[in-house]
Amino acid sequence: MIYLDSAATTLQKPGRVAAAMARAVNTLASPGRGGHPAAQRAAQTAFQCREEAAKLFELSDPEQVVFTSSATHALNIAIKSVVKPGDTVLVSGYEHNAVTRPLHAMEGVTVKTACAPLFETEEMVRQFRQMITPEVSAVVCTHVSNVFGYVLPIDEIAALCKENRVPLIVDASQSAGCLPVTPCKWDAAFVAMPGHKGLYGPQGTGLLLCRATTQVLMEGGTGSASILQAMPDFLPDRLEAGTHNMPGIAGLLEGLRFVRRQGVERIGAQERGMIRRMAWGLERIPGVRVFAGTLDDDCQSGVRSFLMDGLDCEQVGEQLALQGFAVRCGLHCAPLAHRTAGTLDSGTVRASLSAFNKPGEVDHFVRAIARIAI
Amino acid sequence: MLYYLIVCRSLTYAQRTAAALERTGISARTLRSPKSVSTEGCSHCVRIARRDLDPAMMVLRQAGLEPKRLFAAENDGSYTEILI
Repeated sequence: MIYLDSAATTLQKPGRVAAAMARAVNTLASPGRGGHPAAQRAAQTAFQCREEAAKLFELSDPEQVVFTSSATHALNIAIKSVVKPGDTVLVSGYEHNAVTRPLHAMEGVTVKTACAPLFETEEMVRQFRQMITPEVSAVVCTHVSNVFGYVLPIDEIAALCKENRVPLIVDASQSAGCLPVTPCKWDAAFVAMPGHKGLYGPQGTGLLLCRATTQVLMEGGTGSASILQAMPDFLPDRLEAGTHNMPGIAGLLEGLRFVRRQGVERIGAQERGMIRRMAWGLERIPGVRVFAGTLDDDCQSGVRSFLMDGLDCEQVGEQLALQGFAVRCGLHCAPLAHRTAGTLDSGTVRASLSAFNKPGEVDHFVRAIARIAI
Repeated sequence: MLYYLIVCRSLTYAQRTAAALERTGISARTLRSPKSVSTEGCSHCVRIARRDLDPAMMVLRQAGLEPKRLFAAENDGSYTEILI
């Protein structure tokens, strides 16, 4: 199988990830829950993972790195820490349901949406500038669209938030590991990300990078201040009730080490190079409509969406699966992004890359699409 | 007196504290706080040798890692709080 669905989950992982997870199952107990060697080893692994993440994301304090079960979990904490019932929140038109559903579920929250067309960066900045009015109490913005690979102008949006003293939550689900993610430079309140995509950890892991006061999402044991019935007021304990996913954290640690060894810039450049090669090939096939920006490296990551004339996107996905290609079709849990791009009715076929794809795989894929198009 | 315990607000803070000390060559071990020094239930602390107290406090001040409380372990098994 040629795997082109890394925007959902990177299936190919560094070999050390699975090895560390297998080792963890038999050797790691729970951090902070005992003074014995198995608990101490778990504590050390968790701390190393926080330190590795802090280095990758340029945070000085590993306590700001909170383990979550997913980016969705992390976004729920972030949103419920910053947004209160009745608030007005500004989002981009490319948000995932992990952002829009928590906002929808909050009583009386008004959501304003900056809906600039795909890849029109200046227009996106202009809309954010225009819409970040005094009643806006928070901005939630994805760094990269999970559907189109569109890299949003997050530096400029962050600067607008800072200028207007509005807290910013960044969804780095598609950028962590392949683009610089810099919470301090952005002065972001929170940055949320999964462990199982560009950080090459296993499913069931995620990170929340915290730079603001937090609201507890779930209460329970933390192995600290246990005589008190209120949750601890310090991180990471405040947000980490219950037993940690130690096999997941051990795997994520190896994924983070892989990303730091390879280098974010290198991984990103490799993915963008291959995705341009794919777009170049697909655009030459009659009846294929590719959603691509210009050749500007800065506006698109290693994710491409496309449509084929006369074929339902799910049919294309099925035919590709029969030929040994894994892609994702439909709305990608991001109806808002599809509405903004005008593809809500059709959905799209999405191909997405990781550090483990090879240019030859991209060429095979383009040839497969050409066969389907005939 | 045998050694000192630097009581920290969390396990992660204790790990940061121990790491900062180890980086400067001061031997430091993270462990669960003895029940008698832990007023809020479970907590974690960092054990350092008696001779290392002054340099350790200096390192922690420079690193911005303020200890929550400090105890001296006595020969009779008790702990005496040292005002920081």
